[in-house]
Amino acid sequence: MAESSWLTKFPQMDRADLTGIRKTLDSAYRDFSREYGETIESFFDPLLTFLVWFEKLLITTPWWIVIIVVTAIVYMACRSWKLCLGVVISFLAIGYFGMWENTMRTMSIITVCTLLAIVLGIPIGIIMASSNRAQSIITPMLDVMQTMPAFVYLIPVVMLLGIGKIPGVIAVIIYAIPPVIRLTNLGIRLVDKEVLEAATAYGANSTQRLFGVQLPLAMPTIMAGINQTIMMALSMVVIASMIGVKGLGQPVLKSITNQYFTLGLFNGLAIVALAIIFDRVSQAYAKRSQRHMGGMDNA
Amino acid sequence: MKSIFIAVPLVIASTFVQAEDTCGKVTIADMNWSSASLIANIDQFILEKGYGCDAELVPGDTMPTGTSMIEKGEPDIAPEMWSNSMRVALDKGVAEKRLRYAGNSLLDGGEEGFWVPQYMVDKDPSLATIEGVIKNVSLFKHPEDPDKSAFYGCPAGWNCQISSGNLYRALGLSDKGFELIDPGSGAGLSGSIAKAYTRQEPWFGYYWAPTSVLGKYKMVKIDFGSGIDKDEFVSCTSKEDCLEPKVTMYPPSAVQTVTTERFATKAPAAYDYLTKRSFKNAEMNKLLAWMEDNQADGDVAMEYFLTQHPDRWKPWVSKEIAEKVSKALKNL
Repeated sequence: MAESSWLTKFPQMDRADLTGIRKTLDSAYRDFSREYGETIESFFDPLLTFLVWFEKLLITTPWWIVIIVVTAIVYMACRSWKLCLGVVISFLAIGYFGMWENTMRTMSIITVCTLLAIVLGIPIGIIMASSNRAQSIITPMLDVMQTMPAFVYLIPVVMLLGIGKIPGVIAVIIYAIPPVIRLTNLGIRLVDKEVLEAATAYGANSTQRLFGVQLPLAMPTIMAGINQTIMMALSMVVIASMIGVKGLGQPVLKSITNQYFTLGLFNGLAIVALAIIFDRVSQAYAKRSQRHMGGMDNA
Repeated sequence: MKSIFIAVPLVIASTFVQAEDTCGKVTIADMNWSSASLIANIDQFILEKGYGCDAELVPGDTMPTGTSMIEKGEPDIAPEMWSNSMRVALDKGVAEKRLRYAGNSLLDGGEEGFWVPQYMVDKDPSLATIEGVIKNVSLFKHPEDPDKSAFYGCPAGWNCQISSGNLYRALGLSDKGFELIDPGSGAGLSGSIAKAYTRQEPWFGYYWAPTSVLGKYKMVKIDFGSGIDKDEFVSCTSKEDCLEPKVTMYPPSAVQTVTTERFATKAPAAYDYLTKRSFKNAEMNKLLAWMEDNQADGDVAMEYFLTQHPDRWKPWVSKEIAEKVSKALKNL
């Protein structure tokens, strides 16, 4: 019986060994967080100070100034009165339904996350595009980041950095950064070989080729990546609130556990409104900057 | 032809055997925390091996399981229900003869309160009282705002969010510089304890026992110096619209085994076992600590408990059943 049992039953690792491995790894992580936790935490301190400052700024600024500034930014980005009107109306509705403060919190953290994702993501995408080996290393990492259930890495991060904004930002960025990296890589790789040859023939070095030819031509794809990053960051708001990030996610969480459907819907709609504003603005800006680039090409 | 003649009486015989213990198919809610999962696994094993039920574990959580039991009559057994969190609905289910409270799964009841880590009290014994905590408010640094102190409350949407929020108001913690932090989820709350504990940092907040977290990280329940005012707790502290909450310690909350009426009438013998099956908190804490040390799941811990503590579970069942279960244990 004993010999044939592996045919019918998977020859599984001994339970004691498996427990041993789990315990060793867990206690190793615990030791690590005890040893380096404070150092890592202080590394993130400047970011935390900035996050807190930015959130306070948005909350303490009178609501009408916020609306004027946001609308002005929207107008500068896309020069569309219709879109500006939509922004004003949706912000007024958000405020009227008592979600102003939470919306400001969410907006501040999403803005910071998006900017960080862009600042980190585009250089990584450029590295990926310039070397096939880098691409073969980074792609599986991006796959892991996009599919690993958030809680698997969230709670270890909480043990390292506590609950609150920093673990929230880390979680959002891990989930939201892959599109901008992938599409930067793709955009640069799709640039026509002949155009690059022409640039080389004119005597451009690799830096000039990158900033003068590749990036501008890849811009529509990169903007699509940024756009996706913003959308994914906003969809992580609820997950981030599960580790104590204040904002629109918390009322959503509260409403789903208590089955307050209307409260959930209102806050969900506020997240959607923010998403649409971010989306339209970034897309309109991309289109406009493309037109602008077309002009530059001729010059 | 011959085989049919043999088979028919066999089938009939087996249906008779089935009919004798009419337990049949039973679903047990396997809640997503350690103690409940352990009890669910014990119930499954004993019902299956001892009472011949076809017992199946289904994933559960307090609210969804309770609601489903009342509305749909499924699952049949909730082995560890913190019934205060949905007292009204459950009582209504009992009154309408849909549910039964079989017994207390935890004899001493659940213990809720505000806690600080043991190592802080060792250093300064006054921290075991609320006055001491308030006096040392500057110890409990807020993670995001250096001017404030942190009180970790109960996650959003949980029942304890109301009571812990009301006590936070009643104790005037806000005026003393404490900010109520919403940890967002149970995992967030226990994560913050784990973080504080591994670095021996101060921590002050709401938690409950017996849990594997409090089994692993020794904490001291803070004395409010008020004693327990049960009426006040029921009428105001645990209510969302409580205008002027007063200070009271948490009364022990009932932790019960809840079954559907259908199961109780269908399998009275098995139901009788459930009325007897209960744990003392100290005992459960030890079991939870063992689970934590060995990273054991509910089924592994069930084996450990049934094989190592036969004196504990044998009184819950009759002699014959105990023998059947013991025999099954030997065959594991």
